[in-house]
Amino acid sequence: MSGIHTRVDTEPQLAEMLEARKARRSKPPYIPQRDGDVTALLQSFFAKEEPESQVGDVARIGGGASKEQFVFSLAKPGGEKRRYVLRMDALEGITETSREREFEILKAFQGVVPVPEPIWLDADASHFPTPAIIMEFVEGVTKPETEGVSVTGLGTVLGDPLRGMLAPQYFANLAKIHNFDWQAAGLEHFSAPLADPKQPTRWLIQFWKELLEQDAVTKEPLLRLATQWLEDNVPDCDNPCVVHGDYRTGNYLFDEESSEVTAILDWEMSYIGDFHADLGWLLQPVFGSRIDGVFRASDIAPPEEIIARYEEASGNKVDPAKLHYFTVFNAWKSYILVSALGMQAARTAHNHQDVLLTFLAATGPMFVDELARLLMMEESQ
Amino acid sequence: MNPSVDDRLNSVLRALETVVLPALPESASLAQEQVMLAMGQIQIIQAQRDVTPEFERGELVDISTMGNAILALGPAPETCAAQHEALKAALAKPGNEPRTAAESVRGAIDDLLVAARQSGEDAYRAQLSKTILPLAKERAGKDREWFAVMGFDIDLSAA
Repeated sequence: MSGIHTRVDTEPQLAEMLEARKARRSKPPYIPQRDGDVTALLQSFFAKEEPESQVGDVARIGGGASKEQFVFSLAKPGGEKRRYVLRMDALEGITETSREREFEILKAFQGVVPVPEPIWLDADASHFPTPAIIMEFVEGVTKPETEGVSVTGLGTVLGDPLRGMLAPQYFANLAKIHNFDWQAAGLEHFSAPLADPKQPTRWLIQFWKELLEQDAVTKEPLLRLATQWLEDNVPDCDNPCVVHGDYRTGNYLFDEESSEVTAILDWEMSYIGDFHADLGWLLQPVFGSRIDGVFRASDIAPPEEIIARYEEASGNKVDPAKLHYFTVFNAWKSYILVSALGMQAARTAHNHQDVLLTFLAATGPMFVDELARLLMMEESQ
Repeated sequence: MNPSVDDRLNSVLRALETVVLPALPESASLAQEQVMLAMGQIQIIQAQRDVTPEFERGELVDISTMGNAILALGPAPETCAAQHEALKAALAKPGNEPRTAAESVRGAIDDLLVAARQSGEDAYRAQLSKTILPLAKERAGKDREWFAVMGFDIDLSAA
């Protein structure tokens, strides 16, 4: 655990990250990596890490809204050839996360749920231009091949019978994440929020509030009201667990033939906190489908069924008041992602896909509308 | 006759669709995605172009309505008086550019909300909240309609 003291009352590692990002704001525009440059970087990296191995087949991976991603192969002297994924930060993006934490959490969940194995880490950009992680390539798709292009998996329709085959795995995997014994795992880059029952969520709120303060491109009165409501109503967290932070359809891979989930992806926003946060996230309308008037969260099931099946799989009892709190939180967090971090990254030209960020920012009013609805519900009670 | 904005944007779209996109190798997935997003953005901008000035004036009208509704609550507690005055000033001197003027009013309301919480003016905070929420919801509805064409909003898409 870090002993660094900063003004933001959040996880020390995250507080340090929040300070460090301020220094990046004045940097010149970010130039996306060229395939040839990435090949050279990988060759020089593996010349040290895996001498005599051969890097090949370097290709950029599309999709996603935060990292530069490349797939490549590595042939070892004995002839074994394996494929890997390089994930590299841009200067800024829709999220603010740590490759060290991502590496560590992926390592911790090996054998618990399907996850790519992280192999190499360049946390301080000593070799790559920005912090980077290299993990094994896992086969699978995020949506049926029959589905058209979608932005970061939003609006994905799994349909029948696929939905029915993925649903049990969806709940079982989320249950395993929340029931994981994180204290026994010795996560060095995560802090245990055990000082008092409100600390997990207080840390969470202060982290996102600071991001909003740093990156807001407009001062939306409703966002201020929501921030104050979240600060004033922090619930107790009785049993802190690993929260994935972005658990939804679009963030897991499955095999189209067997319908087996092959990897749960995008762990970069994970932390130790209240399991209701993951539920509030995956229940958001923006991540679901509405077909013939039926809303299905993650196109998996209607909200009531999601909660019932989650409780059954996890043994956790969902508290409606806490779920409501984290529904507000997640609409607020989503706004911060798309309308603050994403827009700021696009305005400073600090990302490799500014056009995607400004496109995604158009979802901002949905979150403002949802926040207004939720806070008005509060007022009427 | 000068080429119209639509003539020029349509030619850009056609170049992207019929020349640039097919020329990209199958492996260039990010570049393909970026071109498609660029095309989508241009088409949406085309659809919104003529009504954008009216939309932006509407944003200013709505945030000014919110600001005036706050002033109509009456004098602010002493601890928030400076921010209350600043809001009054922002509303009294709207600039010529609607987006800048709207941001000035938003900033003043935000400062007032911060001051009210910092000074523990709970009764006033409740009044502010009751005033702001319905107006913010109404405005958000208009903004959602504005961006419904992006296709993210499953409720509006289904409507």
